[in-house]
This record gives sequence, C-alpha cells and structure tokens, in this order.
Amino acid sequence: MNLHRYGRLLVAAVALAVVAACGSPASETPATQAAGTGKLKIALSNSFIGNQWRVEMENVFKAACAMPPYVDQVECSVFNAGNDVSTQSRQISNLISQGVDGIVINAASTSGLNGVVQQACDRGIVVVSFDNTVDAACGLTVNTDQVKFGQQLAQFIVDELNGQGKVIMVTGVAGTGADNDRNKGAMEVFAANPGIEIVATYSGMWDSATAQRATSGQLPSLPKIDGVWVSGGTDGVIKAFSAAKRPMPVVGGEAENGFRKYMAGILTPKVNGMSIGQPPFLSVISLELARGVIKKEHPKESITIPFPVVTSDTLVPGETVFPDLPDSFFADFTDSGPNATVILCQQAATDGTPCPGKTLDVNFGKR
Amino acid sequence: MRDLIGRLVPTQAGLGYIVLVATAAAYLIVYTSSLGRFPTSFDYLSILNTMLPLVFVAIGQSLVVLTGGIDLSVGGIVSLCVAVTATTVTGTGIAPFGWLIVVLVLGAACGAINGVIVAAGRIAPILATLATLSIFTGLALWVLPVPGGSIPSVVRNVLSNPNVPTGLIWLGVAIGGWLVLRRTRFGMRIYAVGSDETSARAVGVPAGRVKLGVYALSGLCGALASVFYVSTTTAGDANAGAPFILTSIASVVVGGVAFTGGRGSALGAVAGAVALTLVIDVLFFAGIDPLYQSLFQGLFLVVAVLLGTVATLVARRRRAAA
Repeated sequence: MNLHRYGRLLVAAVALAVVAACGSPASETPATQAAGTGKLKIALSNSFIGNQWRVEMENVFKAACAMPPYVDQVECSVFNAGNDVSTQSRQISNLISQGVDGIVINAASTSGLNGVVQQACDRGIVVVSFDNTVDAACGLTVNTDQVKFGQQLAQFIVDELNGQGKVIMVTGVAGTGADNDRNKGAMEVFAANPGIEIVATYSGMWDSATAQRATSGQLPSLPKIDGVWVSGGTDGVIKAFSAAKRPMPVVGGEAENGFRKYMAGILTPKVNGMSIGQPPFLSVISLELARGVIKKEHPKESITIPFPVVTSDTLVPGETVFPDLPDSFFADFTDSGPNATVILCQQAATDGTPCPGKTLDVNFGKR
Repeated sequence: MRDLIGRLVPTQAGLGYIVLVATAAAYLIVYTSSLGRFPTSFDYLSILNTMLPLVFVAIGQSLVVLTGGIDLSVGGIVSLCVAVTATTVTGTGIAPFGWLIVVLVLGAACGAINGVIVAAGRIAPILATLATLSIFTGLALWVLPVPGGSIPSVVRNVLSNPNVPTGLIWLGVAIGGWLVLRRTRFGMRIYAVGSDETSARAVGVPAGRVKLGVYALSGLCGALASVFYVSTTTAGDANAGAPFILTSIASVVVGGVAFTGGRGSALGAVAGAVALTLVIDVLFFAGIDPLYQSLFQGLFLVVAVLLGTVATLVARRRRAAA
C-alpha cells in the first residue's frame, strides 16, 4: 500500500502549504511595495524566442535597460514562455506576486492572457503589450499600423513608376492579422491607380528562402516586371530576379538587412526601393510607455508609432544598413532621421549591450 | 537491509507523489527565499486555476495510456472545444451551463471517433489520433479563425473564480470520479486490457468496447479542460490545445503510468500535472536565465523518468530476491 503512504505525504505537504498561506494574510497587495522607494520593477514577458526578430527585440530591451535614464530608474527582468499560454500566464502571475510595477508583453495568444492581465491591472500594475498584443481592455498597447505598411510601399511603387506598369505582390503568412492588413492597404492603393496592372500574387511566407523559390518558379511565365511589392523575404525576391537575369524592378519591401544592402549598392545589382519594417524596438517603446505611465509623466493611453522608413537615397551605412551584419538581420532595430522614435546602436541589437555614452530618448510624437 | 533499501525506493506508481512533494517543497523554498514571505492565497489560486486544464487532460491521457494506447488528438479536441466554448456559451443564469453540457458531449463524441478508429478499425492509436488531431485542429480554426470570443462571468465565478478556490471542488470531483471509476467493472477492465489484451479477451472482456469508452472519456476530459481554459483566460484561441499534447504525455510519464499499459493510476498523472505546473514557478523564482528554462524543464522530465526506471528495476530485483 505504497500509494496510501505517499498519499499521506501529499496531504501533509498540502497542509503545510495551507498553514503557510494562513500565516501570511496581510501581504495581499504586493504591487505597491516598490513604488516611490528606489527603482521601478518592469518585466518583459515574451512568448517564443525562436527567430531573429525576437532575439533583436529582447536584445534592444536589455540594452535600453542598461542605458540612462532606465539604468538609474528601472530594474528590468526578461522571461520567455515559448508558445505556451499557460506558461506565460504562470510567469505573469509570478510577476504579480513579485510585486513588479509594470509588465511589458509580447503575447503567445492575443486572447489567452486576458484573465491574468486583468488580475495584474486590478493590482495597479501597468501592463503594456506590443507586436502580438493582448485584447484585455485594461492593458495599454504599442504597435504599428499594418494597413499603412501596405499603402506606403504601394504608393512608393506607384510614384516611382508614374502610375504605369506591371507589378507583382509577394504576400506573407495567410490567416494572420498583419498579412491581411498589409495586403488590404496595398490593394487599396493599386486599385486607385488604373495604370498599374498586378500580374501575379503569391505567398513568400515572410521568409527569404521561400520567397526566392516562389519567385524563381513564377518568373519564367511573367512579362517584364516594373515593380515588386513584398510583405517579407525581400532579399530572396531580389536574388531570384538577379539569378534569372531579369531587369531589376522598383522594390517596396521589409527591413531585411540583405534588402537594404542591395538598396545601398553594397550588393549588386543596386536596387531602387523603399524598406519598411515592424521594428524590434517596439519593446523599448513599451518600456518607456510603462515607465512614463507609472511615473505619471505620460497619459495612460495606447500608442501607434510610425514605421521606420528608408529609401535607396536615404540609406546610411552603419545607421540604417549594416555591411558587416548578415542578410537576415532586421536593420530596423533602430529608427533614423531628425524625428526618429528611438536611435540605437549595432551592439544593442547584436549583443544586448548598452550604446556607450548615450542617453536614450524616446519620441512618441507623430511625423 | 535489502528490504529497507527496497522500502526507501519508491515503486513506479508512487513516483508521481514523490516528484510532486519534491517540486512543491522546492517551490516553497525558492519562493520564500526570493520574496521573503510565504506564497499568498493569490499564488495558490492562480496555480490552481492555471493547472486545472492540464490536470483534466492528463487524467484522460492516463486512462488511454493505461490500456496501452496514446491519444495525440487531445490537442485537437481541446482546441475545438475551446473554440466552440468561446463562441457559443453565452447568456445569463442557467443557459450557459446548458451550452457547457453540449461542449462536453461534443468532446466525448470526438473521443468516441478515436475509439471507433482504434477499436474497430484496428489502427495503431498513435496513427489514428495523429490523423484526428489534424482534423479537430482544422475544425477549431474553422469555428474560430482569429482568437477571441468570451465567457459569461457567471460561468467564470462557478468554475475558476479568481477570488474563491472553486477550482478545488472540481479538482476533488475529478479525483473522486477516478477513485469510483477504478473500482467499477469498467475500471478493472481498463487494467485488464492494458496488462494483456489477449488474455483479457480470452476471459470475455470486451476489449473493443473498453477502448471505445476510454477514448470517449479522454475526449470528455479534453472538453472539461477546454471549459476551464476558456473560463480562466476569458477567451478562446483555436491553437490553445497544441501545448497539451506534450504536457499531458509528460504528466503521465512523471506520474509513473507505464507506457506498456496496465500499471499506474490517474492520480499519479494528476500529481505529474501539478508538478509540471509548479516547475515553471520553481524555475521562475530560482532566477534561471529564461534562455535555459526549457533545458531545465527537459532535465526535470529526464530525471523523473530515470527515477521511475530505477524504481521499476529495484522493484523487479526485490521481487526476484523474495
């Protein structure tokens, strides 16, 4: 009857835990402990960490935490949950117990964390979600406008072609909100310009290798192409055109470093294009929003930030294109220009180390 | 002397409890040393409410494993039932609970389909349930293409109240259900089929019907898990079930249920499920670098399974010596 012996042990353990719980009844409001005295505690709760974008996103967060003003004001921590909602939910519960002041979330599910986020809000914790945001109404969000992404790239192609020409569209992963929105924005602009003819639409799955394979397969049956609109995997599309010895079209695409190398003429042939991306520094903006709201320096409202945009003419090596980083790197880990949202250095994105001698200045202003 | 050593080493069935007690102790230690106080009722409640779905799926999975099978489709059943729960369960008063019963029937029906394929079609459980996993997941996406939906607050208050441990009642019901089930004729037949199907058939156990029943029960458990999932998260996601495939199997393994069938208990799987949930918290408060968390979760599994193997070996040697 081993089972019963262990069963009794189990009961003993549970009893111990319950006694422990009753022994500490007055500590129900942990959230406010750290406020006012010393540093703010802000945690990043990320879902999975399996791709370049997520790695850069966490690196810039860590780098920002090690730079002024955050290094003096905020104590940061980072947690990854994988794509498992219950793990992320447990981690957020534990953050609530720890008494953090703010939680910054890239969610495993837009709906699955509603319950725990509500509990965090109820305890006065500021919750900011970004990229894959949380639906719960009490949380703040930081994101970009994906419809605008599609519109802006399409408008660039239309302008460069003076409203006349044959265009192909390389879309992303079907069934995701971002893919739908991007395509919708592009279709609006192309439809408003009758001189533009869309000769092919196919998916590149937001992946350079897939986009290259798909484009190589399509090209032999296509006429001369004047413009290409790419939702992701842009450098792959260019490589396919180059390999097929086709004249290089005007390209509107994502923020892959490889694409920008072609745009800057670091790789040949030089491409005339515009590059826009979902910036990894959304994590830093969210950190700033959380800090600002806790310190009552910002109004408690969600933010939509403008996309970091560069064209072939405005690229600056070392600032918006990085000759010594791989093609797959997302070069939009930093914004650029006089109205930049935030400026970060290369080592912040590659190693998560602070940019030497720099104070981070986050600009929420609209362009 | 040998007897003493034998008594100190757990049998495989007791493994789940040992692992649970060790994990719970580790949790209390890292929590108190990290925060300087004991866990509060908030911690216990949130652990309880987060672990309930896995506990239910693990019970279902353990029933199937006890017959020597495996049910990969739990992921699909949970996804489908989550999608249906989040989209259809509405209204006030008693009405939502009527819908919940519909969801439970749906889950049991999905499980029964597995049972028919395995028992009547004589297809290996791993193949049959892999196929139905895709079908159920596809149906879930059809019902709820983008995450969303809602649950009436009356359901939430009854099932996984964030302020009162109503979850304990349901945990008790689940455990009680198992304790009754295993004393019924059906419960004994589960063990008989899992231990030796041929002999069981020879003495007149209707193995096909038993299997059909187990898979249907596993589906029912999946549906229960979905209801609690939606109740805790307050919304649905058609991909909600995927993580439960591996975590339910891991719970069964940690709980000391033998994959060859016939040995172990659903209670062990419950202990395994609770331990697996607590491991996340132990790693959290131990301050393990998040990059290595999945490494440590894996190590935990390996150690637990190795313990089980050692226990079996010792038990066998003890039996041989006696």
